[in-house]
Amino acid sequence: MDVIQYFIKQSDRIFTYTLNHASLIMIGILCSLVLWISVGIAVRNNSKSANAVLGVGSFIMSVPSISLYGILMVIPGLGLSRTSAVIGLVLYSMLPIVRNVYMALNGIDPSIIEAARGMGMKKRDILWKVQLPIALPIIFAGVRVALVMMVGTATLAVYIGEQNLGRLLTHGIERTHSEMIITGAVMVSAIAVLVDYLMGYLQRKLVSPGIRSGADKSASGKVRYNGI
Amino acid sequence: MEFNWSRVLEVLQTSKATLDVKLLLMQHLKLVGISLAIAVIIALPVGIMLTRPGFKRFLPRVMGILNISQGIPSLAVVAIFLPLAGIGTFPSIMALTLYALLPIARNAIAGIEAIDPNIIESARGMGMPASMVLWKIELPLALPVIMSGIQTAAVVTVGTATIADLIGGGGLGRLIFTGLSFFEPELIFLGSALAAVIAIVIDQLLNLANRLLTTPKSE
Repeated sequence: MDVIQYFIKQSDRIFTYTLNHASLIMIGILCSLVLWISVGIAVRNNSKSANAVLGVGSFIMSVPSISLYGILMVIPGLGLSRTSAVIGLVLYSMLPIVRNVYMALNGIDPSIIEAARGMGMKKRDILWKVQLPIALPIIFAGVRVALVMMVGTATLAVYIGEQNLGRLLTHGIERTHSEMIITGAVMVSAIAVLVDYLMGYLQRKLVSPGIRSGADKSASGKVRYNGI
Repeated sequence: MEFNWSRVLEVLQTSKATLDVKLLLMQHLKLVGISLAIAVIIALPVGIMLTRPGFKRFLPRVMGILNISQGIPSLAVVAIFLPLAGIGTFPSIMALTLYALLPIARNAIAGIEAIDPNIIESARGMGMPASMVLWKIELPLALPVIMSGIQTAAVVTVGTATIADLIGGGGLGRLIFTGLSFFEPELIFLGSALAAVIAIVIDQLLNLANRLLTTPKSE
């Protein structure tokens, strides 16, 4: 009951933290989408560079997130800023997004692309009108994993100056303030689960019914998950 | 913040009780090793048990819970153990174990469930008892998936163990958090780099183990 009282008493602050959390994730996911989907498209026909990019991605993935932030804040010019926070989030979403874009674009039945070419479609048209729509479910699954991960990683960005829900956790630990910790943990977990659910809903709505297969399930299972 | 390489070396060589790098490194490895071992010992049997006929009806619900719980941030899990269990090594190990359980159990279930039912059917047709089907057919076939679950858990645990210092777990997180509090980038860098190296080394070792353990065809 104390938790509920705390929540009501501090609702203003919690609301501000939630907004900050959301805006950081928004910026992070937008940058990641633009950057990593284009990288994935760029390397789609070149398995050598794709392997190099994915290698870098899985390397970053195995670096603990607090370590990544620690290293980023040491770099001159970044320091304690939102830029560092966003860069951290963007780096972490590299593997799930690039891998799924690459896998999805290369997993398409070659005869479909052949047929498109036979109809006289240009390379760019094939990419935009055939390949990407077919690849969409798997790409979406990658973005979903990246986004859920970001909700958690963003909590650690409080150490480089962000003021988001992670503050409830870290300050709660510093003060041994149980209500604060529980509020923070519940809020962050609820947001992560909610984002996951919403993305699942969106996925079902966006993907054309003709290609709605088991693809989304298998892809999300394949992505290596590091929920830090 | 000024970054000074000679300070990094200095920290490496000092052995003040609070910032002895070797001690913290060993502490970190101990945290990761113990919690990972407990997690494997609990999660594998439970995961396997849930795929047995008697418990199979709980499977969709359990998988749903496991999938959802993957979204819970590690900081939240570590933080919640402070009011529950206090501070120190024991609560840290509990938090790390709980967090490592999820990917291991999830992959054990997914790996066994993904096996072609015809293979199991034919093994049963050959007269294999259920325990033999499990040990000789299901587990070897599911091994790559199970191993990748353990691999994920190991990498996640190395990262989470740094955060566990917040509830008194010690380990490399102490270097990072001390550095953050005193604005000493050298400490942050040292702790971060060592934790990253441990994660990458464990990842590669388990990759190797996976390749050695898996029979070539069951990929």
